[in-house]
Amino acid sequence: MPSVVPALEWLEALAWTTAIRESTWGYPLVETAHVASIVAFAGLVIMMDLRLVGLAFTDAPPMQIQRRLFPWQMAGLALSTATGLLLCCVDPLRYYGNVFFRVKLVLLALAGVNAAAFHLTTYRRAERWEDDPQITATARLAAGVSLVLWSAIIVSGRFIAFNWFD
Amino acid sequence: MLLLPFLEWCEGLAMSQAYRESLWLFAATQSLHLVAVTTFVGAISIVDLRLLGWGPVRQPRARLARSAQRILLWAGLAVLATGIPQFTVNALSYSRSPVFVFKMCLLAAALVFTATLRRRVAVADEGRLPSWVPRTVGAVSLALWMGVTITGRLITFYG
Repeated sequence: MPSVVPALEWLEALAWTTAIRESTWGYPLVETAHVASIVAFAGLVIMMDLRLVGLAFTDAPPMQIQRRLFPWQMAGLALSTATGLLLCCVDPLRYYGNVFFRVKLVLLALAGVNAAAFHLTTYRRAERWEDDPQITATARLAAGVSLVLWSAIIVSGRFIAFNWFD
Repeated sequence: MLLLPFLEWCEGLAMSQAYRESLWLFAATQSLHLVAVTTFVGAISIVDLRLLGWGPVRQPRARLARSAQRILLWAGLAVLATGIPQFTVNALSYSRSPVFVFKMCLLAAALVFTATLRRRVAVADEGRLPSWVPRTVGAVSLALWMGVTITGRLITFYG
């Protein structure tokens, strides 16, 4: 199997990635924007999940809440993805070799599959929730899985900085 | 000065020693701090978006705010429980860090604002206030709490 390392070496050697990596402000600025947008995004996802598992906002129909949160969640996701990709471009070899980065990618993929499955199935039938305050067990399960996954993603993301196994 | 003995006492605590000797304890605490902060900011921002007129507008403001308050309390306790050991381990160096001191000032301002003005506005009768009042309060609250989050992250870079 061909290795991706030469491609990552090429990426790391580019003038603009080198400039950001070596500048005093560039890297911390992008990193901080990444953390801030994840907090904004995941915070609103956690609110929706807490509603679906029945721990908060229980007097509000879930759809009324989620419809209004959705654009903000997507804006946060877009910004955190953009800044995350930028970080990967700036320091690709370090991330590639970091075990916590790999764990985070796997968890992100799982969270994506969980969210997609929820949106394509349960969420589509959500209209009926408005008449029926009893939330379906599937929605509750998806929300519980989402809470666990996003917490784990935040933890593994923070752990990338502790390069114990590099 | 009274501060120095306190800072030395913090660093000498058995808990602080344990953190210094462990490789993973500090890392785990910081990560959980971040999860707790995310939950806290989520409960803040859902109400702030509503105050701004952009959140779940079909929900009465007061009801949304009261429900969010329970999350704020629990997440706030978790933020404290994971934040205090981080401080005691590095009490001396943190007290000399301008970014840390700035974060604490911002945090104090955010707490006072949230417990007083924001709370009164969130539970007030919606017809009673002109719309610029909740909008301004929501915007200030979001700015303060995102400011606390961002300066918290910057401690590691410019501590």
